[in-house]
Amino acid sequence: MKKVVIINLSPRKKGTSMMLANRCREFLSVRDYQVEILHLYPNLKNLSPLLAAINEVQSIIMVGPCYINTYPADTVYLLEELEKNRDVLHGQDLYGIIQGGMPYVHTHESGLKMLELFAGENDLSFKGGFVIGMGAMLNGQPLDKLLNGKKAERGFQYFLENVAKQENSSSELYHQAQLKMPGMVYYLMAKMMNRKIDKERRGKGIGDQVKSPYDNTGINY
Amino acid sequence: MITILSDHTRQEVGERLDKKLRERKIATEFISLTDMNVGPCYSCGGCTDKTYGQCIHRDDGDIILPKLMRTDVLVMVTPVKWGSYSFKTKRVFDKCAVIGDRHYYYKNGELVKGKIGRVHTFVAIGVKDQWQNDEKSAFENLVAENIKIMNIKGRVHLVDASNISVFLDSAVEDLNQ
Repeated sequence: MKKVVIINLSPRKKGTSMMLANRCREFLSVRDYQVEILHLYPNLKNLSPLLAAINEVQSIIMVGPCYINTYPADTVYLLEELEKNRDVLHGQDLYGIIQGGMPYVHTHESGLKMLELFAGENDLSFKGGFVIGMGAMLNGQPLDKLLNGKKAERGFQYFLENVAKQENSSSELYHQAQLKMPGMVYYLMAKMMNRKIDKERRGKGIGDQVKSPYDNTGINY
Repeated sequence: MITILSDHTRQEVGERLDKKLRERKIATEFISLTDMNVGPCYSCGGCTDKTYGQCIHRDDGDIILPKLMRTDVLVMVTPVKWGSYSFKTKRVFDKCAVIGDRHYYYKNGELVKGKIGRVHTFVAIGVKDQWQNDEKSAFENLVAENIKIMNIKGRVHLVDASNISVFLDSAVEDLNQ
């Protein structure tokens, strides 16, 4: 039986990254894989459980959110620590999954590139990844709730098949799954989301002219 | 105001740039990340709920973020690992969402977010001993996406031992405009 470890790079244990991690587990565990999901954040002070698990497996899947166009800072920390403990890296396959709020693939794709460059320097075999937009809106709900749910579901399914067969997964899969809307729709989406933000602020008793708690210059936030 | 945020690990470009700008009487705020301890963004939602506009966790972000709120030009000087920001730099960048405009805007057919504080220009300076082409393009793409999503002006510089002197002179001229 082959072994795979899924590393949850999100600080949240319930959310879109974990929904995707669970999807990977469900898919692989019925295909002759022994699957373990490990969380990065509770292990930040001692990464030994993650290092030990990585040492034992044939494939690693890193799944996490996109913070300002790539994975969160602590993913860089994990990679740095893996580099320091290179003896646990010995040709395993590495796949990445990144999900973020914006609907566009290009917004989040740098995260996968980081994993690819890391793998190239550290005796891992990067075999591709999957990018999912509007992950924040999804907030842990199933993929089919997305506006491009059917396409995202189909692309993600192909990606999982690649992982199960330890094949390279083409970026075409997530590019094809991307939501494609006319500009006017995004314009209206912006209006709609801003109305929601402003309503939320009013609900919390925060007016439009309140300063940031970090601000002593009079700029509104 | 120009603020230089610099992770000194394996590089001194930030300090040298700050010194040169000061020699030219250009107002700067220099933040070294060496002794700063900024925790992770836990995506807990506190900054959009209980402590609206403020991180619920107390760390040196409380020192850095007010300085970033006051700046017009943000210069991040970072060692580059695998085409990305250093761990210390990214910890700060991740927290910048709390001082960012939460609203969405429409630009060039796509959704974008608003800027951080009043920052109108973002300059990312990536430092490495030696650049490989794929890492150059990875870092350039990442910064281009940062600039796009923040909906501001900006540029990226790739610095190594071979071009540091030329870079410092041109960066001073650039930031003086």
